[in-house]
Amino acid sequence: MTSVLIARALAPAIHRSLKQLIQNGSIYKFHNYVKVIQVAAPQRQRRLYSEKKVFERTKPHCNVGTIGHVDHGKTTLTAAITKVLSDHKLAKLRQYKDIDNAPEEKARGITINVAHIEYQTENRHYGHTDCPGHADYIKNMITGAAQMDGAILVVAATDGVMPQTREHLLLAKQIGVKHVVVFINKVDAADKEMVELVEMEIRELLTEMGFDGDNIPIVPGSALCALEGKNPEIGSDAIIKLLKEVDSYIPTPVRELDKPFLLPVEHTYSIAGRGTVVTGRLERGVLKKGAECEFVGYNKTLKSTVTGVEMFHQILDEAQAGDQIGALVRGLKRDDVKRGMIMAKPGTVKSHDHIETQVYILSKEEGGRPKPFTSFIQLQMFCRTWDCPVQVVIPDKEMVMPGEDARLILKMLRPMVLEEGQRFTLRDGAQTLGTGVVSKTLPMLSEQDRIDLTEGKKAREKKAAAK
Amino acid sequence: MLFIRTLTRSICTGNRNFAAEKSLLAALRKKTGYTFANCKKALEMHDNDLNQAELWLKAQAQSLGWSKATKLEGRHTAQGLIGVAINQSNGVMVEVNCETDFVARNKEFQNMVEDATKCCLRFIETQQKPQDDVAKFNLNTEQLKALHFESDGKSLADKLVLMIGTVGENATLKQGVGLKTSEGIHLVGYAHPAGHVENGLQLGKLGGLLAYKCHGQDSDHTDVAKGICQHIVGMKPTKVGTADDKPAPNKDEETCLIHQEYLLDDSVTVKELLEEHQLEIVEFRRLECGETVSSVSNQPLEFVETCQ
Repeated sequence: MTSVLIARALAPAIHRSLKQLIQNGSIYKFHNYVKVIQVAAPQRQRRLYSEKKVFERTKPHCNVGTIGHVDHGKTTLTAAITKVLSDHKLAKLRQYKDIDNAPEEKARGITINVAHIEYQTENRHYGHTDCPGHADYIKNMITGAAQMDGAILVVAATDGVMPQTREHLLLAKQIGVKHVVVFINKVDAADKEMVELVEMEIRELLTEMGFDGDNIPIVPGSALCALEGKNPEIGSDAIIKLLKEVDSYIPTPVRELDKPFLLPVEHTYSIAGRGTVVTGRLERGVLKKGAECEFVGYNKTLKSTVTGVEMFHQILDEAQAGDQIGALVRGLKRDDVKRGMIMAKPGTVKSHDHIETQVYILSKEEGGRPKPFTSFIQLQMFCRTWDCPVQVVIPDKEMVMPGEDARLILKMLRPMVLEEGQRFTLRDGAQTLGTGVVSKTLPMLSEQDRIDLTEGKKAREKKAAAK
Repeated sequence: MLFIRTLTRSICTGNRNFAAEKSLLAALRKKTGYTFANCKKALEMHDNDLNQAELWLKAQAQSLGWSKATKLEGRHTAQGLIGVAINQSNGVMVEVNCETDFVARNKEFQNMVEDATKCCLRFIETQQKPQDDVAKFNLNTEQLKALHFESDGKSLADKLVLMIGTVGENATLKQGVGLKTSEGIHLVGYAHPAGHVENGLQLGKLGGLLAYKCHGQDSDHTDVAKGICQHIVGMKPTKVGTADDKPAPNKDEETCLIHQEYLLDDSVTVKELLEEHQLEIVEFRRLECGETVSSVSNQPLEFVETCQ
């Protein structure tokens, strides 16, 4: 931060000297002076070809993906974005065929089938993904291979909205993408009124699908023109405009460090003369000595205060997300706190025992179970440092096959700390069945539900027959 | 002054014309659902006459569909649906493939699969009753394409290209499987994921057909039979198996239907279940969508679905 300030103060002077440099033709034009300082130094060094560049974390990161019909130019748009940004030295130019590395990805074996591209605008750094199918997106969302903070919907002006665009938007909803920016492609092959009509149609559909149809930014342009460097007004300018909209419309995700602190308890120790120490990896936030805290889990909520934080037997003023720490807590016995409990800022976490989830069930080749399962199967759910038996209810299907994704309702034998977006694993004995993400927390189970949970199959059938 | 006035007037009238055309184009698009480019062409050809343009589009749809289908031909289709239909002693499964599963979830495509399945079922119905227990039919792409609708006389190939024209993706009628049984043999079908059932027609990614005999007096055997059919879809047996077949040492690798653990209740094997309900399996068929398609890595790069 200080360097930025200094840079700002020195800006006019540097500007002057920069001008000379530019006139000498040794450096290209840059967008702001701060970056000159960061970029100019490494540029002087000559890099060996095989040497890998060090990633510089100077901007917030954001993940976007393209969705749309196969022929509407998603890949061309991705290539065009890298082309336009590489002209500004903000991305590496990726050819069309480089992006389309789907066959190689597939050949690698495991399921994840995305083209991953990185680029940056002046404000943010982006990871860009593209998946060809619905199941692929879901799988990537669940396994966390390609998180999407926002999406770019690509629609060709010549075709307009296709019947399956509805399915594309449904998918965006399902994987929790709330912010969509629309790019109307192939404007070079259409006229102005067609573009206007396509825009109207898209807004109508977006509203119908529950998005903010009136305010979603829609940018018309031609990715092909941008790629070929023709007609800048619908080519590169449109791409720049699109990226501006993406920059401003899709919010930057909150970093783990900026959230309230949370620590899943791994072990507890009793230290004579000091009290109880809990250890674990601080999952998010910043933990300071003297912080109020709350232990939640196993039907209990205990309040306490952190009286000391240590890492590697050394005292720490402030632990940050990712640190493996021990925290000394006041007024609790060792047996009060158990592995699996969550230590968090009071009031920020809640226990749940009834959740709706999206789960990907591993196929046999991926090490999963070879046969399908039906409702009422009992599995072990593993999450953070705890595990708990759960009963599975399949609401949409009669069974789930290996290699499929499914919406599952999980009923847990005891309430544990959970939240939307939390990832977990389902296991059956020694075998991993699948991995999932919590999509919704449901109302807590009633006393009767809880009794039903432990009931056997015979009792369930008897009850169903009696009805 | 005069010049300016004429100029403004021309602009005004120009705008009005423009607006009229725009609403026409929008109306035509909304009414027909054809692409903007085609709607515009239709309006231009018929001096903005909405009705004529619509008629022309309808007439053109078939040929436009054909040209689109030819253009997309050869592109990889690994997704899709299987339609399962049963009518008393006739049962069929038809597999229709498309490029992305987005399309497979779309109504247009589902209607197409339903049509194809019904058409195929009618074909099986017109065949002669078998002499022995079950007659089996296997239809390939060409045979399926040649099937005709009774109502409008259109072939399935025509219907398919119409659908290709609308969704803009390649699609193929992959295969059809039919069973026709003689008296006393029952048929049951199952499609997974279940849920989409309309007038006896099921759609899913996997499908199964089961022909069985019932030796008991008990007439309520459809639920058990449906369960066995679900078992076949889920557990992928390769044959029914006879008393001579020995159970496999590892029960997870059992491919013989009668020795497999029953999917819905793993405390019994299918054999025990059949004995309990006095059923005998005559024949079964199982289809998995995209099963016979070669793996992606074998195809040339330009046919990969993310291209264009």
